[in-house]
Amino acid sequence: MCALILGLLPVGCQTLKQPELGEPLADLTRAQRAQFQEGKKIFQRVFEPKDGLGPLFNGNSCAECHEKPVVGGVGDEVEVHATRFEGPYSCDPLFQEGGPVIQQEATPLLKAKGIEKEQIPPSATAQARRSTPPVFGFGLVDAIPESTILSHEGYPDGRGEAISGRANRTIDGRVGRFGRKAAVAALMDFNAGAFPQEMGVTTPLSPVEETINGTPVPPDTDPAPDPEITVEDIEKVTAFVRYLAPPPRQVFTDSQDRYLAGRGRKLFEYLKCSLCHIPKMTTGPSAVKALNRKTVWLYSDLLLHDMGSQLADICLEQAHPAEFRTELLMGLRYREQFLHDGSAKTVREAIERHGGEARYSRDKFKALRDRDKNALLKFLETI
Amino acid sequence: MKNMFLRMTMIVAVGVAMHMEASEADQLKSDLVGQCMGGREKCWKFQSLDQIKELVVKDKTEDSQKRVYTVALQLQAAKGSGKYAAEARVEYVKTAAGWKVKQVGLLSLKKSG
Repeated sequence: MCALILGLLPVGCQTLKQPELGEPLADLTRAQRAQFQEGKKIFQRVFEPKDGLGPLFNGNSCAECHEKPVVGGVGDEVEVHATRFEGPYSCDPLFQEGGPVIQQEATPLLKAKGIEKEQIPPSATAQARRSTPPVFGFGLVDAIPESTILSHEGYPDGRGEAISGRANRTIDGRVGRFGRKAAVAALMDFNAGAFPQEMGVTTPLSPVEETINGTPVPPDTDPAPDPEITVEDIEKVTAFVRYLAPPPRQVFTDSQDRYLAGRGRKLFEYLKCSLCHIPKMTTGPSAVKALNRKTVWLYSDLLLHDMGSQLADICLEQAHPAEFRTELLMGLRYREQFLHDGSAKTVREAIERHGGEARYSRDKFKALRDRDKNALLKFLETI
Repeated sequence: MKNMFLRMTMIVAVGVAMHMEASEADQLKSDLVGQCMGGREKCWKFQSLDQIKELVVKDKTEDSQKRVYTVALQLQAAKGSGKYAAEARVEYVKTAAGWKVKQVGLLSLKKSG
Protein backbone atom coordinates (compact mmCIF):
# COMPACT_ATOMS: atom_id res chain seq x y z
CA MET A 1 0.00 0.00 0.00
CA CYS A 2 2.78 2.33 1.05
CA ALA A 3 4.67 1.49 -2.12
CA LEU A 4 1.59 2.24 -4.17
CA ILE A 5 1.08 5.60 -2.54
CA LEU A 6 4.82 6.20 -2.71
CA GLY A 7 4.57 5.77 -6.46
CA LEU A 8 1.92 8.48 -6.61
CA LEU A 9 3.33 10.75 -3.93
CA PRO A 10 7.09 10.41 -3.77
CA VAL A 11 7.20 12.47 -0.58
CA GLY A 12 5.13 11.64 2.51
CA CYS A 13 5.29 7.87 2.93
CA GLN A 14 8.84 7.16 3.87
CA THR A 15 9.95 4.21 5.95
CA LEU A 16 13.10 4.42 8.02
CA LYS A 17 15.91 2.10 7.02
CA GLN A 18 16.44 -0.62 9.60
CA PRO A 19 19.82 -0.06 11.30
CA GLU A 20 22.52 -2.64 10.75
CA LEU A 21 24.06 -4.46 13.70
CA GLY A 22 26.03 -2.04 15.87
CA GLU A 23 24.40 1.07 14.41
CA PRO A 24 22.37 3.61 16.38
CA LEU A 25 18.57 3.69 16.45
CA ALA A 26 17.05 5.02 13.27
CA ASP A 27 15.33 8.23 14.30
CA LEU A 28 17.89 9.89 16.57
CA THR A 29 18.62 13.59 16.31
CA ARG A 30 22.01 14.76 15.13
CA ALA A 31 22.96 15.60 18.74
CA GLN A 32 21.92 12.13 19.93
CA ARG A 33 23.96 10.49 17.17
CA ALA A 34 26.95 12.55 18.31
CA GLN A 35 26.39 11.35 21.90
CA PHE A 36 26.26 7.77 20.58
CA GLN A 37 29.62 8.20 18.84
CA GLU A 38 31.24 9.87 21.85
CA GLY A 39 29.96 7.16 24.16
CA LYS A 40 31.22 4.47 21.82
CA LYS A 41 34.75 5.86 22.15
CA ILE A 42 34.62 5.56 25.94
CA PHE A 43 33.04 2.10 25.64
CA GLN A 44 36.11 1.10 23.61
CA ARG A 45 38.64 2.97 25.74
CA VAL A 46 41.32 0.64 27.06
CA PHE A 47 42.20 1.50 30.65
CA GLU A 48 45.67 1.00 32.04
CA PRO A 49 46.70 1.11 35.71
CA LYS A 50 47.80 4.74 35.30
CA ASP A 51 44.26 5.60 34.11
CA GLY A 52 42.61 3.77 37.01
CA LEU A 53 42.43 0.14 35.89
CA GLY A 54 42.28 -2.19 38.90
CA PRO A 55 44.05 -3.05 41.12
CA LEU A 56 41.42 -5.82 40.79
CA PHE A 57 39.45 -6.12 37.57
CA ASN A 58 37.80 -8.47 35.08
CA GLY A 59 38.44 -6.55 31.85
CA ASN A 60 40.30 -3.42 30.75
CA SER A 61 37.48 -1.95 28.65
CA CYS A 62 33.75 -2.39 28.13
CA ALA A 63 34.45 -3.58 24.61
CA GLU A 64 36.84 -6.28 25.79
CA CYS A 65 33.81 -8.36 26.81
CA HIS A 66 31.20 -6.80 24.50
CA GLU A 67 33.03 -7.18 21.21
CA LYS A 68 31.64 -9.83 18.84
CA PRO A 69 30.63 -9.61 16.06
CA VAL A 70 30.71 -5.82 16.60
CA VAL A 71 31.12 -3.45 19.57
CA GLY A 72 28.20 -4.04 21.96
CA GLY A 73 28.06 -7.76 21.25
CA VAL A 74 29.25 -10.77 23.18
CA GLY A 75 32.61 -12.01 24.43
CA ASP A 76 34.00 -15.35 25.49
CA GLU A 77 34.74 -14.20 29.05
CA VAL A 78 32.92 -15.95 31.88
CA GLU A 79 32.77 -14.16 35.23
CA VAL A 80 32.57 -15.52 38.75
CA HIS A 81 29.92 -14.25 41.20
CA ALA A 82 29.19 -15.34 44.78
CA THR A 83 26.59 -14.51 47.46
CA ARG A 84 25.19 -15.91 50.69
CA PHE A 85 21.70 -17.41 50.64
CA GLU A 86 20.10 -17.29 54.05
CA GLY A 87 16.70 -18.41 52.67
CA PRO A 88 13.87 -18.37 52.19
CA TYR A 89 13.64 -14.57 52.07
CA SER A 90 17.16 -13.35 52.73
CA CYS A 91 20.14 -12.99 50.42
CA ASP A 92 23.36 -11.28 51.46
CA PRO A 93 25.31 -9.87 48.47
CA LEU A 94 28.38 -9.76 50.74
CA PHE A 95 29.24 -6.14 50.01
CA GLN A 96 31.42 -6.09 53.13
CA GLU A 97 33.45 -8.99 51.73
CA GLY A 98 34.00 -7.47 48.31
CA GLY A 99 30.54 -7.82 46.75
CA PRO A 100 29.03 -10.44 44.46
CA VAL A 101 31.48 -9.93 41.54
CA ILE A 102 34.71 -11.82 42.18
CA GLN A 103 37.38 -10.10 40.12
CA GLN A 104 39.67 -12.52 38.32
CA GLU A 105 42.56 -10.25 37.30
CA ALA A 106 45.08 -8.03 39.10
CA THR A 107 47.41 -5.27 37.95
CA PRO A 108 51.20 -5.85 38.13
CA LEU A 109 51.47 -3.67 41.26
CA LEU A 110 48.94 -5.84 43.08
CA LYS A 111 50.49 -9.06 41.78
CA ALA A 112 53.79 -7.85 43.22
CA LYS A 113 52.06 -8.04 46.61
CA GLY A 114 51.20 -11.67 45.97
CA ILE A 115 47.54 -11.05 45.08
CA GLU A 116 46.54 -12.58 41.74
CA LYS A 117 42.74 -12.27 42.01
CA GLU A 118 39.87 -12.00 44.47
CA GLN A 119 38.82 -15.14 46.32
CA ILE A 120 35.33 -16.56 46.92
CA PRO A 121 34.35 -15.08 50.32
CA PRO A 122 34.29 -17.71 53.12
CA SER A 123 30.69 -16.82 54.04
CA ALA A 124 29.40 -17.33 50.47
CA THR A 125 27.02 -20.27 50.15
CA ALA A 126 27.29 -20.56 46.36
CA GLN A 127 29.18 -19.28 43.35
CA ALA A 128 28.04 -18.73 39.78
CA ARG A 129 29.48 -18.30 36.30
CA ARG A 130 28.19 -15.50 34.10
CA SER A 131 28.71 -15.08 30.36
CA THR A 132 28.58 -11.70 28.63
CA PRO A 133 25.22 -10.77 27.09
CA PRO A 134 25.01 -8.54 24.00
CA VAL A 135 23.67 -5.06 24.83
CA PHE A 136 21.94 -4.31 21.51
CA GLY A 137 18.55 -2.71 22.08
CA PHE A 138 19.07 -2.24 25.82
CA GLY A 139 17.95 1.40 25.64
CA LEU A 140 14.54 0.21 24.52
CA VAL A 141 14.44 -2.35 27.34
CA ASP A 142 15.36 0.44 29.78
CA ALA A 143 12.42 2.47 28.50
CA ILE A 144 9.77 -0.18 29.23
CA PRO A 145 7.62 1.05 32.14
CA GLU A 146 7.79 -0.83 35.46
CA SER A 147 4.02 -1.21 35.25
CA THR A 148 4.35 -3.19 32.02
CA ILE A 149 6.76 -5.63 33.65
CA LEU A 150 4.56 -5.98 36.72
CA SER A 151 1.48 -6.59 34.54
CA HIS A 152 2.98 -9.94 33.48
CA GLU A 153 3.50 -11.20 37.06
CA GLY A 154 1.51 -14.25 38.11
CA TYR A 155 0.31 -17.10 35.96
CA PRO A 156 0.48 -16.27 32.26
CA ASP A 157 -1.32 -19.44 31.19
CA GLY A 158 -4.24 -18.42 33.37
CA ARG A 159 -4.63 -21.80 35.00
CA GLY A 160 -2.33 -21.33 37.95
CA GLU A 161 -0.22 -24.23 36.84
CA ALA A 162 3.49 -24.60 36.40
CA ILE A 163 4.53 -21.14 35.21
CA SER A 164 4.56 -18.12 37.51
CA GLY A 165 6.80 -15.09 37.06
CA ARG A 166 7.64 -12.46 39.63
CA ALA A 167 9.68 -9.28 39.48
CA ASN A 168 12.96 -9.02 41.31
CA ARG A 169 13.52 -5.88 43.37
CA THR A 170 16.74 -3.95 43.83
CA ILE A 171 17.96 -3.26 47.36
CA ASP A 172 16.21 0.12 47.16
CA GLY A 173 12.92 -1.51 46.12
CA ARG A 174 12.78 -0.71 42.40
CA VAL A 175 11.74 -3.32 39.83
CA GLY A 176 14.86 -5.02 38.45
CA ARG A 177 15.27 -5.82 34.77
CA PHE A 178 18.99 -6.04 33.86
CA GLY A 179 21.36 -8.87 34.74
CA ARG A 180 20.72 -12.62 34.76
CA LYS A 181 18.80 -12.29 38.03
CA ALA A 182 17.16 -8.93 37.15
CA ALA A 183 18.93 -7.32 40.10
CA VAL A 184 19.55 -3.95 38.39
CA ALA A 185 16.78 -1.47 37.64
CA ALA A 186 18.25 0.94 35.11
CA LEU A 187 20.84 1.17 32.37
CA MET A 188 22.64 4.09 34.03
CA ASP A 189 22.94 2.08 37.27
CA PHE A 190 24.34 -0.88 35.34
CA ASN A 191 26.98 1.18 33.59
CA ALA A 192 27.85 3.17 36.72
CA GLY A 193 28.53 -0.13 38.49
CA ALA A 194 30.39 -1.78 35.63
CA PHE A 195 33.32 0.66 35.86
CA PRO A 196 34.26 -0.09 39.49
CA GLN A 197 33.17 -3.73 39.53
CA GLU A 198 34.48 -4.91 36.16
CA MET A 199 37.42 -2.57 35.56
CA GLY A 200 38.30 -1.32 39.03
CA VAL A 201 37.73 2.24 37.80
CA THR A 202 36.33 4.50 40.51
CA THR A 203 33.62 7.05 39.74
CA PRO A 204 32.13 9.97 41.67
CA LEU A 205 29.20 7.65 42.50
CA SER A 206 31.58 4.90 43.73
CA PRO A 207 34.65 6.92 44.72
CA VAL A 208 36.37 4.19 46.74
CA GLU A 209 38.19 1.23 45.18
CA GLU A 210 36.51 -2.16 45.43
CA THR A 211 38.02 -4.05 48.34
CA ILE A 212 39.87 -7.34 48.16
CA ASN A 213 37.36 -9.54 49.95
CA GLY A 214 36.66 -6.68 52.35
CA THR A 215 40.25 -5.52 52.84
CA PRO A 216 41.15 -2.14 51.31
CA VAL A 217 43.67 -2.34 48.47
CA PRO A 218 47.27 -1.62 49.52
CA PRO A 219 47.80 2.15 49.06
CA ASP A 220 50.77 1.92 46.71
CA THR A 221 48.97 -0.35 44.23
CA ASP A 222 46.59 2.25 42.82
CA PRO A 223 48.49 5.14 41.21
CA ALA A 224 45.51 7.01 39.69
CA PRO A 225 43.72 9.59 41.85
CA ASP A 226 40.04 8.88 42.64
CA PRO A 227 37.57 9.26 41.07
CA GLU A 228 39.14 7.82 37.94
CA ILE A 229 36.36 8.84 35.54
CA THR A 230 33.60 11.46 35.62
CA VAL A 231 29.83 11.11 35.81
CA GLU A 232 29.75 12.71 32.35
CA ASP A 233 31.79 9.81 30.97
CA ILE A 234 29.34 7.29 32.47
CA GLU A 235 26.49 9.26 30.91
CA LYS A 236 28.22 9.14 27.53
CA VAL A 237 28.69 5.37 27.72
CA THR A 238 25.06 5.06 28.77
CA ALA A 239 24.02 7.15 25.76
CA PHE A 240 25.94 4.76 23.50
CA VAL A 241 24.19 1.70 24.93
CA ARG A 242 20.83 3.50 25.13
CA TYR A 243 20.92 4.43 21.46
CA LEU A 244 22.38 1.13 20.21
CA ALA A 245 19.73 -0.35 17.92
CA PRO A 246 18.36 -3.87 18.43
CA PRO A 247 19.71 -6.44 15.97
CA PRO A 248 17.94 -6.46 12.62
CA ARG A 249 15.68 -9.44 12.17
CA GLN A 250 17.11 -12.07 9.82
CA VAL A 251 15.04 -12.51 6.69
CA PHE A 252 15.82 -15.74 4.84
CA THR A 253 16.07 -15.56 1.06
CA ASP A 254 15.64 -19.31 0.67
CA SER A 255 11.94 -20.25 0.53
CA GLN A 256 12.46 -23.51 2.45
CA ASP A 257 14.18 -21.60 5.29
CA ARG A 258 11.35 -19.06 5.30
CA TYR A 259 8.79 -21.84 5.52
CA LEU A 260 10.66 -23.57 8.36
CA ALA A 261 11.08 -20.31 10.30
CA GLY A 262 7.36 -19.58 9.93
CA ARG A 263 6.51 -23.05 11.22
CA GLY A 264 9.02 -22.61 14.04
CA ARG A 265 7.34 -19.38 15.11
CA LYS A 266 4.06 -21.27 15.53
CA LEU A 267 5.83 -24.01 17.48
CA PHE A 268 7.32 -21.34 19.75
CA GLU A 269 3.74 -20.50 20.72
CA TYR A 270 2.56 -24.12 20.81
CA LEU A 271 5.36 -25.19 23.15
CA LYS A 272 4.48 -22.21 25.39
CA CYS A 273 8.00 -20.79 25.10
CA SER A 274 6.28 -17.46 24.49
CA LEU A 275 4.62 -17.44 27.92
CA CYS A 276 7.96 -16.40 29.46
CA HIS A 277 9.86 -15.33 26.33
CA ILE A 278 7.13 -12.77 25.59
CA PRO A 279 7.96 -11.60 22.07
CA LYS A 280 7.36 -7.88 22.45
CA MET A 281 6.68 -5.02 24.83
CA THR A 282 6.16 -1.30 24.29
CA THR A 283 8.28 1.47 25.74
CA GLY A 284 6.67 4.28 27.72
CA PRO A 285 6.53 7.95 26.86
CA SER A 286 10.00 9.39 26.32
CA ALA A 287 11.43 12.74 25.37
CA VAL A 288 13.73 10.81 23.03
CA LYS A 289 11.69 10.17 19.90
CA ALA A 290 13.59 6.97 19.11
CA LEU A 291 12.55 5.51 22.49
CA ASN A 292 9.04 6.96 22.68
CA ARG A 293 6.28 4.30 22.66
CA LYS A 294 8.32 1.89 20.54
CA THR A 295 7.81 -1.84 20.14
CA VAL A 296 10.72 -3.85 21.53
CA TRP A 297 11.10 -7.42 20.27
CA LEU A 298 12.90 -8.62 23.39
CA TYR A 299 11.47 -12.15 23.85
CA SER A 300 11.42 -11.91 27.64
CA ASP A 301 8.96 -11.00 30.39
CA LEU A 302 11.89 -9.63 32.45
CA LEU A 303 10.54 -11.67 35.39
CA LEU A 304 12.10 -14.34 37.58
CA HIS A 305 11.17 -17.97 37.04
CA ASP A 306 12.27 -21.14 38.81
CA MET A 307 14.52 -22.95 36.35
CA GLY A 308 15.08 -26.04 38.45
CA SER A 309 17.79 -27.34 40.73
CA GLN A 310 20.16 -28.34 37.90
CA LEU A 311 20.69 -24.71 36.87
CA ALA A 312 20.49 -23.17 40.38
CA ASP A 313 23.47 -21.15 41.57
CA ILE A 314 23.47 -17.92 43.64
CA CYS A 315 20.70 -15.80 45.13
CA LEU A 316 20.69 -12.10 44.26
CA GLU A 317 18.44 -9.51 45.94
CA GLN A 318 15.08 -11.31 46.06
CA ALA A 319 15.93 -13.97 43.47
CA HIS A 320 16.39 -17.44 44.93
CA PRO A 321 19.26 -19.65 43.68
CA ALA A 322 17.01 -21.46 41.17
CA GLU A 323 15.32 -18.30 39.90
CA PHE A 324 16.55 -16.54 36.76
CA ARG A 325 15.16 -13.69 34.74
CA THR A 326 13.80 -14.95 31.44
CA GLU A 327 16.75 -14.49 29.12
CA LEU A 328 16.26 -11.94 26.36
CA LEU A 329 16.43 -13.74 23.04
CA MET A 330 16.94 -10.47 21.15
CA GLY A 331 20.22 -11.00 19.27
CA LEU A 332 20.26 -14.74 20.02
CA ARG A 333 21.80 -15.60 16.66
CA TYR A 334 24.92 -13.57 17.49
CA ARG A 335 25.66 -15.51 20.66
CA GLU A 336 28.37 -18.13 20.75
CA GLN A 337 27.57 -19.68 24.14
CA PHE A 338 24.22 -20.16 25.82
CA LEU A 339 22.50 -20.17 29.22
CA HIS A 340 23.49 -17.69 31.94
CA ASP A 341 26.86 -19.35 32.48
CA GLY A 342 27.76 -20.03 28.86
CA SER A 343 27.86 -23.75 29.55
CA ALA A 344 25.53 -24.72 26.69
CA LYS A 345 27.28 -24.86 23.34
CA THR A 346 24.14 -24.76 21.19
CA VAL A 347 20.63 -23.32 21.38
CA ARG A 348 19.28 -26.87 21.27
CA GLU A 349 21.36 -27.85 24.31
CA ALA A 350 20.15 -24.74 26.16
CA ILE A 351 16.51 -25.65 25.49
CA GLU A 352 17.07 -29.23 26.60
CA ARG A 353 18.62 -28.06 29.86
CA HIS A 354 15.67 -25.85 30.84
CA GLY A 355 14.09 -27.15 34.04
CA GLY A 356 11.66 -26.06 36.76
CA GLU A 357 8.83 -24.01 35.32
CA ALA A 358 10.14 -24.63 31.79
CA ARG A 359 10.08 -28.42 32.01
CA TYR A 360 6.75 -28.66 30.15
CA SER A 361 8.13 -26.76 27.17
CA ARG A 362 11.41 -28.65 27.33
CA ASP A 363 9.69 -32.03 27.34
CA LYS A 364 7.41 -31.00 24.49
CA PHE A 365 10.45 -29.85 22.52
CA LYS A 366 12.25 -33.15 23.15
CA ALA A 367 9.20 -35.04 21.93
CA LEU A 368 9.05 -33.14 18.61
CA ARG A 369 10.06 -34.80 15.34
CA ASP A 370 13.49 -33.68 14.09
CA ARG A 371 11.87 -31.66 11.32
CA ASP A 372 9.88 -29.65 13.86
CA LYS A 373 12.85 -29.20 16.16
CA ASN A 374 14.77 -27.81 13.17
CA ALA A 375 11.86 -25.51 12.40
CA LEU A 376 11.91 -24.04 15.91
CA LEU A 377 15.68 -23.60 15.76
CA LYS A 378 15.35 -21.97 12.33
CA PHE A 379 12.85 -19.49 13.77
CA LEU A 380 15.30 -18.68 16.59
CA GLU A 381 17.92 -17.92 13.94
CA THR A 382 15.75 -15.02 12.79
CA ILE A 383 15.89 -13.24 16.17
CA MET B 1 21.35 34.51 90.01
CA LYS B 2 24.49 34.66 87.86
CA ASN B 3 24.81 30.81 87.94
CA MET B 4 21.18 30.45 87.00
CA PHE B 5 21.70 32.78 84.00
CA LEU B 6 24.78 30.86 82.87
CA ARG B 7 22.95 27.53 83.17
CA MET B 8 20.00 28.86 81.17
CA THR B 9 22.33 30.24 78.49
CA MET B 10 24.10 26.90 78.17
CA ILE B 11 20.81 25.02 77.90
CA VAL B 12 19.61 27.38 75.19
CA ALA B 13 22.95 27.12 73.33
CA VAL B 14 22.92 23.32 73.43
CA GLY B 15 19.28 23.34 72.30
CA VAL B 16 20.05 25.66 69.40
CA ALA B 17 23.06 23.52 68.39
CA MET B 18 20.99 20.33 68.50
CA HIS B 19 18.23 21.98 66.52
CA MET B 20 20.73 23.18 63.90
CA GLU B 21 22.20 19.68 63.66
CA ALA B 22 18.73 18.18 63.28
CA SER B 23 17.84 20.78 60.66
CA GLU B 24 21.05 20.06 58.77
CA ALA B 25 20.35 16.30 58.82
CA ASP B 26 16.75 16.90 57.75
CA GLN B 27 17.92 19.15 54.95
CA LEU B 28 20.42 16.52 53.82
CA LYS B 29 17.72 13.83 53.85
CA SER B 30 15.45 16.03 51.79
CA ASP B 31 18.23 16.87 49.33
CA LEU B 32 19.12 13.20 48.88
CA VAL B 33 15.70 12.30 47.50
CA GLY B 34 16.06 11.80 43.75
CA GLN B 35 19.81 11.16 43.94
CA CYS B 36 21.61 7.87 43.13
CA MET B 37 24.82 6.50 44.60
CA GLY B 38 26.88 3.45 43.68
CA GLY B 39 26.05 1.22 40.74
CA ARG B 40 24.69 -2.13 39.60
CA GLU B 41 23.61 -4.37 42.52
CA LYS B 42 25.40 -1.98 44.87
CA CYS B 43 23.24 1.00 44.00
CA TRP B 44 20.78 3.09 45.98
CA LYS B 45 18.34 5.53 44.47
CA PHE B 46 16.78 7.66 47.19
CA GLN B 47 13.12 7.62 46.21
CA SER B 48 11.49 8.95 49.37
CA LEU B 49 12.34 10.33 52.79
CA ASP B 50 11.01 7.25 54.55
CA GLN B 51 13.81 5.12 53.04
CA ILE B 52 16.33 7.05 55.17
CA LYS B 53 15.80 5.61 58.63
CA GLU B 54 18.75 7.47 60.10
CA LEU B 55 21.30 10.02 58.91
CA VAL B 56 24.27 11.13 61.01
CA VAL B 57 26.72 13.77 59.82
CA LYS B 58 30.23 12.45 60.47
CA ASP B 59 32.21 15.17 58.78
CA LYS B 60 31.72 18.43 56.92
CA THR B 61 34.09 20.58 54.90
CA GLU B 62 33.22 23.76 53.10
CA ASP B 63 34.74 26.48 50.99
CA SER B 64 33.12 29.28 49.04
CA GLN B 65 31.99 27.04 46.16
CA LYS B 66 31.83 23.51 47.55
CA ARG B 67 30.43 21.78 50.60
CA VAL B 68 31.13 18.11 51.31
CA TYR B 69 29.44 15.98 53.96
CA THR B 70 30.37 12.48 55.02
CA VAL B 71 27.25 10.83 56.39
CA ALA B 72 26.33 7.50 57.96
CA LEU B 73 22.97 6.17 56.80
CA GLN B 74 20.54 3.46 57.80
CA LEU B 75 18.48 2.59 54.74
CA GLN B 76 15.47 0.41 54.16
CA ALA B 77 13.04 0.30 51.24
CA ALA B 78 9.45 -0.83 51.62
CA LYS B 79 9.79 -3.34 48.79
CA GLY B 80 13.52 -3.93 49.21
CA SER B 81 15.24 -6.93 50.71
CA GLY B 82 16.39 -5.75 54.14
CA LYS B 83 18.21 -3.02 56.00
CA TYR B 84 21.51 -1.56 54.86
CA ALA B 85 24.15 0.52 56.63
CA ALA B 86 25.90 2.91 54.29
CA GLU B 87 28.45 5.65 54.40
CA ALA B 88 28.24 8.30 51.71
CA ARG B 89 29.91 11.47 50.56
CA VAL B 90 27.41 14.16 49.63
CA GLU B 91 28.89 16.93 47.52
CA TYR B 92 27.12 20.29 47.13
CA VAL B 93 28.03 23.13 44.80
CA LYS B 94 27.02 26.74 45.12
CA THR B 95 24.71 27.97 42.39
CA ALA B 96 22.85 31.22 41.85
CA ALA B 97 19.84 29.60 43.53
CA GLY B 98 21.83 28.36 46.53
CA TRP B 99 23.53 25.09 47.48
CA LYS B 100 22.63 22.15 45.24
CA VAL B 101 23.67 18.47 45.49
CA LYS B 102 26.16 17.75 42.72
CA GLN B 103 26.67 14.04 43.39
CA VAL B 104 26.52 11.39 46.06
CA GLY B 105 29.36 8.90 46.36
CA LEU B 106 28.84 5.53 48.02
CA LEU B 107 31.79 4.92 50.34
CA SER B 108 30.64 1.66 51.93
CA LEU B 109 27.56 -0.52 52.10
CA LYS B 110 26.66 -3.46 54.28
CA LYS B 111 23.53 -5.48 54.83
CA SER B 112 22.52 -4.88 58.43
CA GLY B 113 19.31 -6.81 58.83
